[in-house]
Amino acid sequence: MLQEFLKRFTGQKRSSDEAKQRLQFSLIYDKLELNDTTLTDLQTDIVDVISKYFEIDKDALELKVKNDKQVSALVFNTPILNVKRKRE
Amino acid sequence: MEGKVIVVTSGKGGVGKTTATSSIGAALALEGKRVAIVDMDIGLRNLDVVMGLENRIVFNIVDVVQGKCKVDQAAIRDRRIDNLFLIPASQSDNKDVLTPAGVERMAKVLRQKFDYVIMDSPAGIERGFENSVVSANEAVVICTPDVSAVRDADRVIGLLYARSLEPKLIVNRIEPARVERGEMLSYKDVLDILSIELVGLVPMDEKVLISSNTGTPLVLQNDSTAGQSFRRIAKRLNGETIPIEVPNLKPSVWTKLGKTFGLK
Repeated sequence: MLQEFLKRFTGQKRSSDEAKQRLQFSLIYDKLELNDTTLTDLQTDIVDVISKYFEIDKDALELKVKNDKQVSALVFNTPILNVKRKRE
Repeated sequence: MEGKVIVVTSGKGGVGKTTATSSIGAALALEGKRVAIVDMDIGLRNLDVVMGLENRIVFNIVDVVQGKCKVDQAAIRDRRIDNLFLIPASQSDNKDVLTPAGVERMAKVLRQKFDYVIMDSPAGIERGFENSVVSANEAVVICTPDVSAVRDADRVIGLLYARSLEPKLIVNRIEPARVERGEMLSYKDVLDILSIELVGLVPMDEKVLISSNTGTPLVLQNDSTAGQSFRRIAKRLNGETIPIEVPNLKPSVWTKLGKTFGLK
């Protein structure tokens, strides 16, 4: 009781809360663990689509899964060299 | 009517699979069902000692699957609980000696002879796990409230879903005092993370080790909180609807004193 009170008072975090948070995060991360072929396939597909509209630097692009405390995101980064003109 | 095959699994080792299997099996037999417990951990057999039947092994599961003996010859009858049988694992063979097809053949025979067949899966997700789940009609996942057990349970749940099994969860070794102090995940936390149906909560109980020391069934001990939890779990698996009891703190000395003096 007293221990609990002291913990609350000093703002010490319950380790069980941290365990839950870490677990929730790592389970999402586990499921997002993509193997290399999936990632390369995805990259080729994305490049194909974007190339229809932009001229991009294919050597400088990067594709990765970013994990944050709260969310996971797929990040695709590429320099645009030129905007392609749509032909009527 | 054909019997049901229930697989007890966890992914991680040492979370209480063997205790759970033997207790659930024994409790189902106490409910009047004919039960076979099958030790699927080839090379590392344990159920026989936990159940106190180690001196009576003649044939084992590998002999059954390879056709060297009949199911009835390998199944050891428990002398304390009627209708309870154990098919022990082989201690000398390699895990890969059994194939899912072979196990499936054996399970067909077992379903004819028993109401319930409980498969004690080995730890891990390799061949031994495959063999244990191949003929399962139902799955029970057991997990303790710690990060590694929960993570492994999640992985196993995924694999069971992939086989169209909808596993039910047992949270084992709950220590209410530590949950209260915030030192241990609560069963609600575990349930939040795994989000599957709960079939029972089992408190940490010193009697578990003691009963395995002597090879006596935990469920026969009325003073074992874990044993009583397993009896309720067996009832639920047998189709009864009974509320899930949450392990709580033992009453303090003062409340006990109060009770004896009739204050409460």
